[in-house]
Amino acid sequence: MMSKNDIHPDSKLSEILINYPYVILLLEHFDISLPVQDLSIAQICKQHNINEALFVAFTNLYCNKQSIPSLNLTSDDAITITRFLAASHRYYSEQIYPEIMQLIEQMSQQNNHREMKLVSVFFADYFKEVTAHLDYENQIFHPYVECLVERDKGIISQEIHINYSVSQYKDHHDDIEIKLTDLKNLLIKYLPSRDDRLIRRKLLFLLSEVEFDLNIHSKIEELILIPLAIQLENKFKAART
Amino acid sequence: MKQTHILILEDAPIVREGLKSLLDSMRNVHSVSIAGTFEELMHMLECKSFQMVLIGPHYLLIYQSQIQQLRSQHNSIKWIGVQYSLFSEDLLNKFDGVVDVFDDQEILSAKLNKWLEAASDEDSQNRESLSKREEDVLRLLALGKSNKEIADELTISINTVITHRKNISQKTGIKSVSGLTIYAVVQNLISLDNY
Repeated sequence: MMSKNDIHPDSKLSEILINYPYVILLLEHFDISLPVQDLSIAQICKQHNINEALFVAFTNLYCNKQSIPSLNLTSDDAITITRFLAASHRYYSEQIYPEIMQLIEQMSQQNNHREMKLVSVFFADYFKEVTAHLDYENQIFHPYVECLVERDKGIISQEIHINYSVSQYKDHHDDIEIKLTDLKNLLIKYLPSRDDRLIRRKLLFLLSEVEFDLNIHSKIEELILIPLAIQLENKFKAART
Repeated sequence: MKQTHILILEDAPIVREGLKSLLDSMRNVHSVSIAGTFEELMHMLECKSFQMVLIGPHYLLIYQSQIQQLRSQHNSIKWIGVQYSLFSEDLLNKFDGVVDVFDDQEILSAKLNKWLEAASDEDSQNRESLSKREEDVLRLLALGKSNKEIADELTISINTVITHRKNISQKTGIKSVSGLTIYAVVQNLISLDNY
């Protein structure tokens, strides 16, 4: 039986947002702006041309509901997903990571313990790793998925051979959340403090926000996009043989 | 063994130099530094981590609020009064311990060990007690050594190194080597000079 808290196409987005404010990140990644009036998920999806089932599945993830139902997705959905992921990449690299970096700088000025200098270096290095990771997806994996889609829709020739495969991406796909958790632990348990309560709290909130989003991001990649891309790859292989 | 660094602020040259030479000759003391003024002491505490400050008790009267603040910032440092004239018991009770100008090397050494032990006990409780071996592994790891190099240096197998690393991460909640390096500095397992 469907409970009151279940999310379905008739659910009002405003009600979901009141209870789960992080859903605003999902809206931003879909390029949907507030206010949402009293619109339901179905209405919003129609306006923005998004598959309802996909939207409901993503919303469930942002509402801490872990399981992903089996989705019957098409190549159009693959494009929706890569756009969603690309938008979240911009949120990481242009918004939240620079904001975190700025707070670490502030904290390092306020709290001039020598360890804070190390934290600045630690985060700057980590940001470089994240940037490399995101660049790889933006420049190689997402264009590859788009190519698969175009081939699937007959926009480009079935004969075109693409010298890449999802399995290569899977090998390359490393975990970028570890160092965020490390930093949270250092801030919560170990780094000595000096009049930095406010900055430290803001920093921890931002770290939790990006950690939350990254966690869902990886789930979408691993449990939705990769299987869909493999499905498209196999379709092509089957057509060739 | 944890490194022990001591800082002295004392006006009387004979007392100051005498203390330094007694401490320098002790096995478990790694370095003894001298601050010329209270300002210099504050600066030195910023730049390097010390486990103990030996200080003339009258400084506590002059710089009461600053010392209070320093103690809350560097809460693992033991503050020891150096006594050679009469000070009120109230004032001396504010220190973690007192060395007397009549203490000989044996007494001084016993007192010092007691204070340092107390400090390291508190530390290991805070640290969800990494074992001695885990600390050794962590120190080498933070210095940039590979699993193989650590295994060779401690004459243990690579598998044992990996097990230690797992336990270290589990206890601290920190998995990356760069995160663990910061942890090792915070816990004084390595100094920034090594890094």
